[in-house]
Amino acid sequence: MTRPVLLPALLLAGLAAAGGGSGALAQQSNGGARALAPGVKVEVAPAPGSGSAPAAGKVDETALRYYARIGDGERLEAEIARLRALDPNWEPPKDLFAPQPTATGVDESPFWTLLSAGKVAEARAAIAEQRRKSPAWQPSDKLLQELDLAESAGRIRSASDTKRWQEVVDAAAARPEAVACNRLDNAWRLAEAYAELKQADRAFDTYRTIVTTCPKAKERRDTIFKASRYLTPEQLRELTALGATSNPATGEDYSSVRSAEAELETGRLLERLGNARPGALSASDLSRVQGIVRDKQDVDGAIALGWYFQKQKNYAEAQSWFSQANGWAPSDKAAEGLVLAYNGLGEKAQARAAAEPWKGKSSRVDQALKAVDPPRGPSGGGRSAPQGPSELDRALARHDFAGCIAIIRSSIERSGPTAALLQQRGWCLLELKRPSEAEAAFVEAQALAAREPAPKPAKGGASAAGKGSDRSPAASGLPQTPTREQENAYGQAIARLTTGDVTGLTRDLPRANLTPTQKAEIRASLMATEAGRALEDKRYHDVLRLLNARREIEPEPRNLGILRGWALYNLMRYDEAYAQFKSIDDRLSTEESREGVTTAWKTIYHDW
Amino acid sequence: MTSPVGTSRRDMLIGTASLGLAAALPGTLRAAPYDGAAWRRYAERFLLPEGRIVDTGNKGISHSEGQGYGMLLAVAGGDRAAFDRLWGWTQRVLMVRGDGLVAWRWTPEGGVADRNNASDGDMLIAWALLRAAETWQAEAYRTAAVAIVKALASGLLVEQAGLTVLLPGRDGFRKGDTLVLNPSYWIFPAIRAFAALPGGERWGKLSDSGLVLLSKARFGGFQLPPDWMTLDASGTVGIAEGFKKQYGYDAVRVPLYLALDGYRDPYYFQPFATLATKYGGKAVPATVSLPGGTTTQVAASVGMLAVYRLACHLAGAGGDAVAVPPLAPDEDYYSTTLAHLSALAAQSLGIAP
Repeated sequence: MTRPVLLPALLLAGLAAAGGGSGALAQQSNGGARALAPGVKVEVAPAPGSGSAPAAGKVDETALRYYARIGDGERLEAEIARLRALDPNWEPPKDLFAPQPTATGVDESPFWTLLSAGKVAEARAAIAEQRRKSPAWQPSDKLLQELDLAESAGRIRSASDTKRWQEVVDAAAARPEAVACNRLDNAWRLAEAYAELKQADRAFDTYRTIVTTCPKAKERRDTIFKASRYLTPEQLRELTALGATSNPATGEDYSSVRSAEAELETGRLLERLGNARPGALSASDLSRVQGIVRDKQDVDGAIALGWYFQKQKNYAEAQSWFSQANGWAPSDKAAEGLVLAYNGLGEKAQARAAAEPWKGKSSRVDQALKAVDPPRGPSGGGRSAPQGPSELDRALARHDFAGCIAIIRSSIERSGPTAALLQQRGWCLLELKRPSEAEAAFVEAQALAAREPAPKPAKGGASAAGKGSDRSPAASGLPQTPTREQENAYGQAIARLTTGDVTGLTRDLPRANLTPTQKAEIRASLMATEAGRALEDKRYHDVLRLLNARREIEPEPRNLGILRGWALYNLMRYDEAYAQFKSIDDRLSTEESREGVTTAWKTIYHDW
Repeated sequence: MTSPVGTSRRDMLIGTASLGLAAALPGTLRAAPYDGAAWRRYAERFLLPEGRIVDTGNKGISHSEGQGYGMLLAVAGGDRAAFDRLWGWTQRVLMVRGDGLVAWRWTPEGGVADRNNASDGDMLIAWALLRAAETWQAEAYRTAAVAIVKALASGLLVEQAGLTVLLPGRDGFRKGDTLVLNPSYWIFPAIRAFAALPGGERWGKLSDSGLVLLSKARFGGFQLPPDWMTLDASGTVGIAEGFKKQYGYDAVRVPLYLALDGYRDPYYFQPFATLATKYGGKAVPATVSLPGGTTTQVAASVGMLAVYRLACHLAGAGGDAVAVPPLAPDEDYYSTTLAHLSALAAQSLGIAP
């Protein structure tokens, strides 16, 4: 099977050169030779009908001319290499791109050109018109096969896009070539159709066929990732083993296939890591994750590992991972962890040093520092010994938010509610993804704060070390310490963001009593949400506008980077989309980043 | 949206043609070639003295499509007197819009019942006039035809997604950026005749776009065109909402019109041939839901079978793949018309009918 067209521009250029005279040729070529592919050049005839006959002799150029006609540069290149190997003195014919009249006097080139450009329906129309005019003429079998194949492939795509799974299966059965290795995407769609039709065995068989017959390691590897959505771990293991060993092609390195399963597992583990209870991961799982995070210099992964060990009170390991993350890319998130890890080790000086670059600039780090140098309670006076972190502070430092709720509950039962406690309860509820309750807690805190004597800026007791682990303050301007009222307003805003009340929040934000830093942070979050909606509404220019504006406020996180990639893709800025996905994938390869890279790549190279 | 042809105008046509009946009829009778005698048989049944073709399957109403078919067959049958009666009634009764187009529907009780036009009716009438002008060397027919063609071109030909397409009626076929189109309104031989008129280039483009759309408008297991389709601004073709989502009484004319214009690429006839041969060329269902493929219990009429026979021949499935029973004495207007037009098409292609 041939790919209908890898290089449509090449074919068009060839036809233009052959049919349009030497002017166009001079612009497109260097001295009459055009690079077909790296290292391969073909002399192009200056004009058609200039007397150049196909090279006579023993070399059979039929296939060569066919590949030239359909613009399949890859095969053309291979065929030239093959013929050269047969006869070192042979040179590709100069009229390779000139239209070759067929026996019946009908030149098929225009139909091939349309097919090459993906205009299958137009090619069909042109052929029907030609057959009407020349009833004796028949298009070549090859042309009909390619058209049929292109249509079958399109049919599989559209049936799959509209979830008509049985039609996917039927269309593939009618034209097995439409789901062969050179149309890998369609083969995946077939497997998906079987899976959706609950024909698990056939889905597995389809994936197995791909990983045992398609020669390229990358294809096998991508297939394993695709299959991971539908297959059991046992099946994936079998698939990986088959893909790494079956029918190896010379020159292909299948080690990346072998590692696919492990990477899949790592991705899942990394996701679990954040919430994992101590000991939830086996030693081998853990060492695999660590190896991958180290290989990829994955900052987020390193921080996740840091927290994993911190929760286990394995402060040395935690410190090492937070240091690692901070070394790869300094951030207040990494510094926060580092401060708490050093503190856990009892190395207070180190903890303070780690906090130094962010002190006064990051509320996250400032809060963490409270665990190192606890603020004295208002009634502390002279009498009390240096106060260690409270039970609540320790729970927060462990990211133990359920513990936070329990501690606050018993504290309120013991000695009644305070605004500070209720506010902290709001933050912990937010962490536990209970935004409606959180919003209520902040409202309650605000009401209580209005009745309490205004505290001095230094807050005792509850700290907010655990709040909003994904947020970082804007790094601009002088930090303004929020008042309790502002903290409550901020908490409410975050809670409303989480419940999706974007419209109301956007409306109220200008009047809200927030510090500039807090406002900027909320605004950035609103823009991220809006960008997501814009993408759903296919307003791709708006997506980019929102993301660009947001990037002025704070760095773009990974998920928004992916969003940006798809916006670029849908604006048909494929090269930029590819670069965007690639840079994300290079940092940490996940299913979504791989999907972006693969889709953009296939679009650019017409490799469907 | 006003639909000039309604969503189910053919549904009442087929009451007598059950699957069992069609299957019980003798197998291999052939339709007679089209001639003056054939026309007279047609006229006896459907042409009333005042000059209107009566749709016997639809409560005796008349419509622009029927007038057009009648005029075409009258020219083919060489009956100028009948032709003039038909054209006279059409002008007098249906051309009341003031824009040169024809009101599509007339009922015996209420006269013109829908002033919207149906583009296929206008085209059939104009095409019949052009053929009459040639056959009888009468310039007045040509002048009248040109006026209708101009009115069609200015009001109904539109560009969408790089394609020139024909709106099915003056009013009501735009839904936002999306157009609702009827594949069976591409009456290819008529379009070709219009394209040959001075300034007819856009009609040539309409012809090209018709073939492109018929290649795109393939749905379900049989890859059949829908009776009503959509074309959005990006060139994507779909099955129209608000109509029965099916291939049926309208779209069966697609292969007929292609054949009448001399097209013979099997690709364009294959879907219809596949449907017909799947049912042994006899008990072919009259409609197929799209894209699902549910078929009705109602069988294709004799006229529809005549179209399938033609399609099978052109698709290379063999001329005998479909058995066409003779027309019943009470065969309805639509079935009879399709049978006669199929005979005309077969003759023009040099195929034994």
